[in-house]
Amino acid sequence: MATTVITEDQVLAALTSVLDPELGLSIVDLGLVYGVRIEGGHVGVTMTLTAPGCPLHDVLADWARAAVAAIPGVEGCEVALTFDPPWTPDRIRR
Amino acid sequence: MTPAASVRPSVALPLAYVCTAVVTFVLAAAAVPWLSTELAGHYYQPHILALAHTVTLGWITVTIMGASFQLIPIMLERALWSERLAWWQLAFMVTGVTGMVGHFFLGAWSGLVWSAALVALGVGLHLLNVARTVRGVGRWTFTARMIALALAGLGLTTLVGFALGLDKLVHVLPGDLFANLHAHVHLALLGWVLPMMLGVAARVYPMFLLSAEPAGWPGRVQLWGVALGTPATVAGLCGVRGLLVAGAFGIVAAVVSHLVWLGAMVRTRRRPALDTGLRLVLTGAAALPVAAALGLALALDLTSGPRVALAYAALVLGGWVSLTIAGMLLKIVPFLVWYRAYAPLAGRAPVPTLPELSSASGERLSWVLLTTGMAALVVALWIGEAVWIRVAGSVVAAGAITLGATLASVLRHLVRRPAPAADAVAARRPA
Repeated sequence: MATTVITEDQVLAALTSVLDPELGLSIVDLGLVYGVRIEGGHVGVTMTLTAPGCPLHDVLADWARAAVAAIPGVEGCEVALTFDPPWTPDRIRR
Repeated sequence: MTPAASVRPSVALPLAYVCTAVVTFVLAAAAVPWLSTELAGHYYQPHILALAHTVTLGWITVTIMGASFQLIPIMLERALWSERLAWWQLAFMVTGVTGMVGHFFLGAWSGLVWSAALVALGVGLHLLNVARTVRGVGRWTFTARMIALALAGLGLTTLVGFALGLDKLVHVLPGDLFANLHAHVHLALLGWVLPMMLGVAARVYPMFLLSAEPAGWPGRVQLWGVALGTPATVAGLCGVRGLLVAGAFGIVAAVVSHLVWLGAMVRTRRRPALDTGLRLVLTGAAALPVAAALGLALALDLTSGPRVALAYAALVLGGWVSLTIAGMLLKIVPFLVWYRAYAPLAGRAPVPTLPELSSASGERLSWVLLTTGMAALVVALWIGEAVWIRVAGSVVAAGAITLGATLASVLRHLVRRPAPAADAVAARRPA
């Protein structure tokens, strides 16, 4: 069976389609993505929000999961939210 | 489930409050040119009192209450204690404020007291709901402390206001009528509105501006300035003259510290460009130092009289508070609509951004009309010429109507793009 190798760049590129609707910036550019873990066809994304209690909690996590799941070869995706360390504006990439 | 998932906001509840408040704002603004002759005279007249309560209760207080139901869960990471109670509260507030404004207008004091009792009931429900929400909060941050102060201020303002109304029927209040009236006004302004807006600003402005959360001495000065300055000012207005000046300096120190924080947030912001909502907020903040200076001048007896008092009231309520609230609504309403109409589609279909829900030209026009109109109204009230009050009031009314129309165009997305309830997003998530 042919296997597709998933790379971190692919995952991050997919996550750039996930936008903060207020700012119009992607969660990658905002520095909300803390880490990507790839094990075969399974992808784990660790991300944060701009503030604990952010009402977009479910929306962004669900959106990120859908974006990663659309990458060819991805069999499963888990998005974990963390607030440690808390997000600061210094994490914005542009 | 992570803790944040439990504070998912209700959409219909804050929208119902905000829509009620915006309609009231449009009506109040439209009443300004209509009441221009009365506004050129003394402020203690039935029609002016009706207008003042339309603005302070129907527009400002109802907006703050509604926004609290969206923002407090975000700011304090606590779910609202009872949404059902909040709906009852809205019913009492709408009925009570309508009755109060109508009876003020007619000068019918008996009906006024009954209506005020309904407002007091609505306020009581708000205090209960928010107090139960805040109870057990893990961290007493600056914002949490300011909200607690504001709730105490709201309760006291309502009690004094009710007593003032009752005093029209049965003599219950000691002291001079105008001293009590001024104390009531400043209790509302400094005890309720000021701490709420300073507390919210410290938590919400950094989110919008993408700046670091403010910290340090300005927070302590704001907290102590309001906590000590408000009772001192109110006591001073009730007759202890020495305390009035001390209280006024405390409030001015709080305002200056708030502006220090705001300046730092604006300077260090990572947000690429300021949108119209933020421009309205910052324009409103520009009115604050002028209002503080005028308030200090009044406390020091450097100026006095009904003309200055009316200009001062317009500067604070129309300039600072209304422009700030209008700016915040241009952020809050699109978010609530997006959350309801488009959040369930995110990741499954193209969704617009929040700015795309609104009319940029409508927002800009409301900013221009409201800011120029409010500035002109302050000057016209100070001069006391009915014709200029009518002109300035017409500009404010045009701005309020434009703001209302702009927000209504955002609300149309709720109808235009039917979608499953936002809660469905959570339901689709794997356990």
